[in-house]
Amino acid sequence: MSHSRTVILFWQLAILAVVLVVWQWGFEWSKALLPKAYVPKILDPYFIAKPSLIWQSFLRLGCFSDAAGFTACITGSDNNLWLATLVTLKNTWWGFLFGSASGIAAGLVLGRSDFLARVFGPYIVALNSIPRIALVPLVILIFGLGDLSKIATAWLVVFFVVFFNTFEGTRAVDRDQIAAARLLGASEFTVLRTVVIPSALAWVFASLLPAVSFALIGVIVGEFIGAERGLGKLIIEAEARANASEMMVAIFVMMFVGILLAIAVRSLQSYLLRWQPQFEH
Amino acid sequence: MIAAPSQGLALARDEEPAAAARTRITVKGLVKRFNASGREFVAVDDVSFEVKQGEFVALLGPSGCGKSTILNMVAGLLPRSGGRILIDGDTVETGKVNPRVGYVFQRDTLFPWRTVEQNIGYGLEIAGLPKTERAGRVASAVEKAGLSGFGQSFPRMLSGGMRQRVALMRTLILEPEILLMDEPFGALDTHTKLEMHKTLLEIWERERQTVLFVTHDLGEALTLASRIILLSARPGRLKEDFDVAIPRPRDPVGVRETAEFGRLYSHIWHSLGEEFRRTRAD
Repeated sequence: MSHSRTVILFWQLAILAVVLVVWQWGFEWSKALLPKAYVPKILDPYFIAKPSLIWQSFLRLGCFSDAAGFTACITGSDNNLWLATLVTLKNTWWGFLFGSASGIAAGLVLGRSDFLARVFGPYIVALNSIPRIALVPLVILIFGLGDLSKIATAWLVVFFVVFFNTFEGTRAVDRDQIAAARLLGASEFTVLRTVVIPSALAWVFASLLPAVSFALIGVIVGEFIGAERGLGKLIIEAEARANASEMMVAIFVMMFVGILLAIAVRSLQSYLLRWQPQFEH
Repeated sequence: MIAAPSQGLALARDEEPAAAARTRITVKGLVKRFNASGREFVAVDDVSFEVKQGEFVALLGPSGCGKSTILNMVAGLLPRSGGRILIDGDTVETGKVNPRVGYVFQRDTLFPWRTVEQNIGYGLEIAGLPKTERAGRVASAVEKAGLSGFGQSFPRMLSGGMRQRVALMRTLILEPEILLMDEPFGALDTHTKLEMHKTLLEIWERERQTVLFVTHDLGEALTLASRIILLSARPGRLKEDFDVAIPRPRDPVGVRETAEFGRLYSHIWHSLGEEFRRTRAD
């Protein structure tokens, strides 16, 4: 059974409206209606703020309601929402880029060489077994509180995910396709460029979508543990002041950043993999 | 009865290239042994034959007789355990591709991420032919294969027959003088197969490449080939070698009504039947 787009959209908006209404007024209503013991603590604005407060915090942090004016606010304060988002986004991007580039390169090299795969195999498995988060304090010790440590953290998280997928993808290349390319005159390098890489690309992309989320997670965790700027730093500061609405602002901005990054990767994917049925236009 | 080899038969020799044609492929005392779970078995046992310029030779035999193995060794895709293979007098080296030789697989080996045109133009592209020059040759190949209008399609949008046409053209566009074909139409339905036979006959009767064509389909061998080499069941040995004197140009349906087709069909049928019974008895 297929439902029209309008029906789907109606229900989506209805759910959003209910959530927002309960979030905004649910705690007051339940306080008025229920005995004290049954008032749900989870709805307390002290913990989860409420939409109107979050909106006000957003306007303030985003320099929209500053007395000095938008430009003065942005240039004046060190950790306003715009700057924090920019820093987090930038570090996520570089971490993702370096992580996936090095993961793809290592995956291709080990995927094409049985010797190297067998030599490095146990080391990679061992390193991959370390929970990446455990390494974050070490990374900050080495690279300091600046952007470099955040990029390094994101790299750590992204590299292995992309590496393993590229490795498997390289191993799964159709041998007859390689033989066909050779018989048509392809050299070893041409086979890599025209057969192995395009063929492994589907596997690579399967990892890039989670990898971009992981990069964001890596950067945020790095910012939690030690940072001067960024959305993670904003959350930690808000926590110190027990300001739930400011935390929520940072969380929502992260949500949008995450969505935008995923859309970017997905559109690149559907262009490069347009030969596959699921990406048919 | 047909004697083997069949030089004694009265054949319409004028249909084929002059008897003095030079030898393109020489296979001498070819042996292939495989190791399967510690046990060695012989797949190809002392096979010798020659293919002359412009001949269309079908390598016919029951499944598992090693005919594809022979072809792969001729192509240099597989090392041989013994014997010699020469192409134009040069020894075939395993892993080294001979640019005069084209190879068509049974399995679909098109590059799914390339369009029909990009697949057909692959060999020219990696040889570094300029784009403009390439486009002209690719367009005429697409036309020749009856794929006009599908140049921008990806392989998955095509039927099995169309895909195999693309594969054929991907090889033929490099104008190989020698064509090795490993049951290229084995996966197609009867109707599509006949259409492919028609296409291949037209191309071959015009260009007269030297062809070594592996098949287990008796009708296919008789339709296409000018000579059939019949192999025994495992281990593959040379059983019979005879000419197919059906006049050209041939029509894949028309050939079946000729007396020669019927005569050879029943002869080979009985000969193959012995081989099948031998395999069963093992």
